[in-house]
Parts: sequence; C-alpha cells; structure tokens
Amino acid sequence: MVDRRTFLKLAASLCTTFGVGSLPAPVLAALKKITPGAVPKLIYLQGMSCTGCSISLLQADSPSPLSLITDYSQLAFHADLSAISGKKALNLLEKYINGDAGEYFLAVEGAIPEKMPEACVIGNKTFAEHLEAAAKTMSGAIAIGACACDGGIPAAEGNLTGAIGLKDFYEKRGINKLVINIRGCSVHPDWVWHTIIHLVKIGVPELINDAPALFFSRKVHELCPRYHDFQQEIFAKKLGEKGCLFKLGCLGPDTHADCPTRWWNGGQTWCIDSNAPCIGCASPTFARKKDFPFYRISEQGHQPV
Amino acid sequence: MKIDLGPVTRIEGHLNVKTTIENQKVVDARCVGEMFRGFEVILKGRDPLDAQQITQRICGVCPYAHAIASSYAQENAYKLEVPANGRIMHNLIQGANHLYDYLLHFYQLSALDFVDVTAILQYTGKDADLLKVKGWVQYELASKKTFPAAPFLPRLNGDYIKDKDLNIGALKHYIEAMELQKKANRAAAIFGGKFPHSTAIFPGGCTQEARLDHIINYQSLIGEVREFIHNKYLPDILAVAEGFPEYWHIGASKGGFISYGLLPMSSERDSQRLLTGGILQGDSISPIDFGSITQDVGYARYSSPSGLKVSDSTLTPAPHKEGAYTWTKAPRYDGNVMEVGPAARVLVDYHQGHNQQVKSLVNSFATKVGIEAADLNSVLGRHLSRAINAVVIADFLLAESDRLTPGERTMADLSIPKEAEGYGATEASRGALLHYIRIKDYKIDNYECVVPTTWNASPRDDRGQPGAMESALIGTKISDPEDQIESVRIIHSFDPCIACSVH
Ligand code: SF4
Ligand code: SF4
Repeated sequence: MVDRRTFLKLAASLCTTFGVGSLPAPVLAALKKITPGAVPKLIYLQGMSCTGCSISLLQADSPSPLSLITDYSQLAFHADLSAISGKKALNLLEKYINGDAGEYFLAVEGAIPEKMPEACVIGNKTFAEHLEAAAKTMSGAIAIGACACDGGIPAAEGNLTGAIGLKDFYEKRGINKLVINIRGCSVHPDWVWHTIIHLVKIGVPELINDAPALFFSRKVHELCPRYHDFQQEIFAKKLGEKGCLFKLGCLGPDTHADCPTRWWNGGQTWCIDSNAPCIGCASPTFARKKDFPFYRISEQGHQPV
Repeated sequence: MKIDLGPVTRIEGHLNVKTTIENQKVVDARCVGEMFRGFEVILKGRDPLDAQQITQRICGVCPYAHAIASSYAQENAYKLEVPANGRIMHNLIQGANHLYDYLLHFYQLSALDFVDVTAILQYTGKDADLLKVKGWVQYELASKKTFPAAPFLPRLNGDYIKDKDLNIGALKHYIEAMELQKKANRAAAIFGGKFPHSTAIFPGGCTQEARLDHIINYQSLIGEVREFIHNKYLPDILAVAEGFPEYWHIGASKGGFISYGLLPMSSERDSQRLLTGGILQGDSISPIDFGSITQDVGYARYSSPSGLKVSDSTLTPAPHKEGAYTWTKAPRYDGNVMEVGPAARVLVDYHQGHNQQVKSLVNSFATKVGIEAADLNSVLGRHLSRAINAVVIADFLLAESDRLTPGERTMADLSIPKEAEGYGATEASRGALLHYIRIKDYKIDNYECVVPTTWNASPRDDRGQPGAMESALIGTKISDPEDQIESVRIIHSFDPCIACSVH
C-alpha cells in the first residue's frame, strides 16, 4: 500500500494534467498547499491505443484546459501535446525513465503486445521495454481505459499480438507496483479526474477489481432510468424505440459503471438516453468473444434464440 | 547523414520518419508506422453489426468517421433504405466531428511549429487566462527543474513568429480552442450518444430521437464553433501564412489526389455530396472505381500477398520481414500514388466546379495571398484547406439540422442477409476512408479498411514509388539536420494518424 503522501503527490501530478479551476474550495485549498515546484511529474505513455482516452480527457468539462496547462501542469510528456519531438523528446522521456529527472508517475493508455513486442515501438525501444524500465523508477501507475486495463479491443478474440493490460503485464514479470485501473472504452474524463480528487482529499479510494468503487461498484442496469421499464417488461423491440433495451442486447446488466447517473460530454447525453444499448465498454471482458455480439438483432432476424 | 525523426509528437500515434540528409537537404525519407493491432482479423467471424463499434476503436480521434464508413458499407450490403432523419443525423454527427478535429489539429497539434510560446513573458495586458499562463511560465523557468515548462518547452530549434501580438493572440486562441473543440463534440454527441466512440450510430440511421430541443441545442453549439472559425481560426492561419510565405511552396506531394466526397445531400445511396468526390491527376478528374485500389506490402511487415484488391485483402503479420520498414501498407490507385485529406477534398471539388462556396473561398484566398489553387498542395495549403472545409461544413450543418423532422423515424429496420458484400466510402477529417464488408452465414467473412493515413504515410510500393508524405519530404531544405523543423512542419500538415493507418 502506498502512503498518503505518495498518493497526494500522485493526485497532485494528475490534477496538474487536467487543471483545478472548478474544484470545491476545500479541495482547492488542499491542492494549493502543494507548491508547483514540489508537484511530481506525470509521464503519459501510449501503447496499442486509439488515443480515444486522451481525447476523452480533453472533454473534461471542469476543470478547464487552461488550469491543465498552467498552474499545476507537470505533464512532462504526452506525445499529443509535447512541443519537442524526435530524439530530444526521447531523451526527455528516457531521463525520467532512467530516474535522472526526479520522481514521476506513469499514466498508460493502450495495451501491450506481449507476444509480438515489435508491434509497438517508441523511439529505439519497444513499448514493453519502456514499461519494464519505468517500473524500476516510477512511483505508481494509472491504467487509463479498456486497453491499458485488460487489453481492450486489441486483446479481443483473434488477438495476433498477444495484447494484454498493464497489470497483467507487470504481474507476468513479477513486478509488484500499484496500478489503478480505470476502465471504459473510452474512459469518462470524470472517472480519471475524480479518482485523483479522492486521492488528494482522503487517500486511497476503495478499489474493486483495482478500479475505484465510487464509479464502478454498481451496474449500469441497477442505476438505469429504464429499470422500471425492465420490471414492467416494457421492452424496445427494434433500434430507435424507447423502453428497456434488454431484448436488443443491452449489456447494462453485466457492466459496472455509473453512466446512468453521470452522463457523458458535459452531461449532454449518454448511451441509453439516446436509445443506444450499452455495449459494456467498461467491462473487463468488453468485446472479448466473437460469438458474443453487442446486439441481438441478427439473432432475432435469422437464428432461433 | 541518417536521422530518425521519431517519435514524432503532436500527431496521433507511433510514427518515425527515417531521413537521409545531404547538403542540408532531405534526399530520402521513409515513413515508419510503429504500431500494429490486427483489426481485420479481430473482425472476422463476428456479427456484422459489431463492425461499426469495433472499427471506431481504430481511432479515437476520428471514431465517428469509421462508424459512418462502416454504416455505409453495411447499408450497401443490406440494401437498406435509410430514412431522411437517419441520414441527416449521420451528417450532423460526422460534420461536427470534422470541426473539432480541425481546431484540435491547428491549435494543439500544429501551432507550436510556428508560434513562439516564450512571447508570453512579454505580455503586458490584463487578460486573466494569459496572465495565468505568464505567471506559470515565469515560475517554471525560474525553477531548478530538469525540464521547466514541459510539455511546451523544450521545443525544436527554428524560426518562430516574431510579432509579439500575433504570438500572444495565437496562444489565447490555443486556450479557447480547447473549449471550442468540446462544444463541437458535445453537438455530435447529442445524436451520437457520446464522444469518443458513439453507441447510437447504426447502419440505417441513429437510435436518437429527432426532437426540437436536440436541434436547437445542436445549432447553438455549432453556431459558437462557426463564429470561432470565422473570427479566429481563419485569421490565425492567414497570419501564419504571412510570416512563412515560403510554405505555400514547401511540402508538395508528387502524386494525384483522391476524395470520396463528404456528407450526402439526401438519404439515397450514391446521392450527391456536399463536397464531391473523384480522382484528380494533373488537371484531369475521373470517377472512383474501388476495384482500382490495390495494396502493396513489399516494404510492409506482412507475409500476405502484395498488390491485392480491397475485397481480397488478407493480413498475416511478419514483424521480422526482410526489407520491410513499416506496418503501413502501400495503397495505390491504378498503381499511382495518391494524397488524401483536406487539400484533396478541396481540389477534387474545385476542379469539378461543384460546390460554389468552395470555389469562391479558394479563389478569394488565392488572390489574397497570391497563390494558385494548385499551391494548396503544400504545408500552408493543407492548413488553409482545413479551414475552407470548416467554413463550408459549419454552414451546411446549421442548414442540415433544420431539415430534421421532429417525430419522424430515425432508423431503418435492420435485417442481416445470409450473404452479402458492400463498400462504404466517406471522408474522415484526415481524408479518404473506405470500409469493405463481406458477410457469409450471417457473420463477417472479410473486412478491410483503407484509411487516410494508410495512403499518406504509405511506404514505397513494390515498384519503388515513395508514398505521398515521403515524396513531400524528399527535396526539402533544412537548417538543422537533427531537429528538422521544416520536415516536422510538412509531417504535421498531413495530420498523420498511425492508429488509423495500420490498425
Ligand atoms: S436499458 Fe439496459 S441497463 Fe437499462 S434497464 Fe434495460 S437492460 Fe437494464
Ligand atoms: S453505458 Fe455502457 S457502453 Fe455506454 S459508456 Fe457506459 S459502460 Fe460504456
């Protein structure tokens, strides 16, 4: 278990990534005590990812992107934002990973190609080599999104590269470092952000399956506003209809996430509010099996259920 | 002298470019896509309706384009009649996604190639955002950190804009663009269910209802983005162009152009599109035949056969293949190298005199900055083309959203045939995107995606012809062989996305 001080630093480092402009006053006050110079750095590495999680983190409604890049920014490296490129970017990255640029925390987006390391390369090294080296110097890691947590789509059946998630990767190498899993394909920005706030204010959040219980303890189905329809057996029979989406294949009953109460894109909407069945993107087994389709429409049309 | 430009930052994904420098000039360039996942193999054997979900995960920057291409391919295969509302919603989602992507690309990914961040230290005004940034940079620089003011410093050696006010204005817009891109994505999510990775897009339409409150909400968000495009984005591009006029003539690719056309104007298949498609070679325009597209793998890490047509594609990775230098295949049209993307969209449409707004924007900007339409094949040309796309798309979206009929259906009834095939072609923000699906026994028998950056960052084909971006780099004069800011500006002008190109 990591002590609270370490967690505060982790938290602060991530706060810096997303800014703190609109936090509640006590949280803000707690954060303000950490002088910018003392805030540890964050190294954000992408493996076999689609960058969707990074893009989702930029959709955070509050705090503002301005705070992200000013007051608390210690995001030492992110391939999408860093001004420096090429050998000098690699040099910066390696200074941290070699332990020559001070403490840092690792944020990982994307799966690791365990059986085909050449399938993901950053500079002169494979992604796997960077992660192994970082394990020796980092203070801890956050796995961001389905791919980094459990392998995601790259690890779905047919997986040619041996794609796996970060925790699995470290365990296979006997590396025992704290990895917090934030699932979702992509993550909701709040899931990452508010985990950090919890770390700052209280310390280690309660974890279920290495994921913060605050967001992932209850099923989409349990929280769903259409649960009443489910009980009354008011089911949508085809796509675009209202009612409970269970008979179209909704995976809300199998998926732990708080989308029904949190909503997406600044509270604009979320899957089921737009009549789209939950496809279980926050589940550890998301998209895993070829014979477990997202929807049941084809079955209804052509195959005896 | 051999210099690797990778890892290239401020793009999507894992790109290296191997350059050879002689006499301060790039004499060879090889684009190396360094990440492979194997999507086509993952798709094989799955339920066809999984495809518009799985393929969105090829790219989280332009997932909606993949959802739309997959939906078009399935609509063709299922012979679906799409209700008018369904097609309009597809357009509203995809168009808004283009707008966000252009802003993100110019400000977050490209601006630091031209704008001098350190100018903020001379800021004397009262803008709260800028004062905050100034204080932060001052603090960072005074600290004893190994890398102060990361991720904005260190940066590449080079000449940056000298005018203090221009720099500071652009930095202010960098901050504002981060807010505006969210609004464009929120607008798209109204109908897409969420962004990134929409759950509401299907072949045959969208599951979201057509409601007046959705329309008004959408129009208000897009209206704000449109204002930013006109008042800030366009002027900023022109300001960069004024400071670096030589970039109207740097970074031209040496092949033709393909655009599949963007945003169908009615729900019928093959209906006219807002920006029309075609092949442009020299001055001649021809219609697109998907059968003329082949993909070479002589220099790509696959042992599957080279030169296959899209519908015959197979995928066998061979990470140690002799002579191969990238995971990206080399698509060719009738054997010819093609550039895709914003400039291709504008040029292909302009040469057919199709969209009058495109025509007048190109003509007026060309006169204003003293270039020919053909000069859009350049670093600045690609940036300006994005802004032209943005202006045309934003106007269209406001009008298109008025065409939604509240209360009418938004989805076709779906029924998956036992055997079928179909192509789906659209324009992602980065260019021509093609999906192909073949269904056997109600399951996916073959799926192939030929993606914009597969064209642009393609390696040599089997005849040895360099890809579009390689050809744009070769011949470039550079000041500092190690940093090559000139080459990086060329690469950024293509907005490469490696997750897309290899997938
Ligand atoms: S729509 Fe899905 S999550 Fe909601 S009640 Fe029905 S089955 Fe459960
Ligand atoms: S409702 Fe389901 S599919 Fe939608 S974001 Fe939440 S977990 Fe993912």
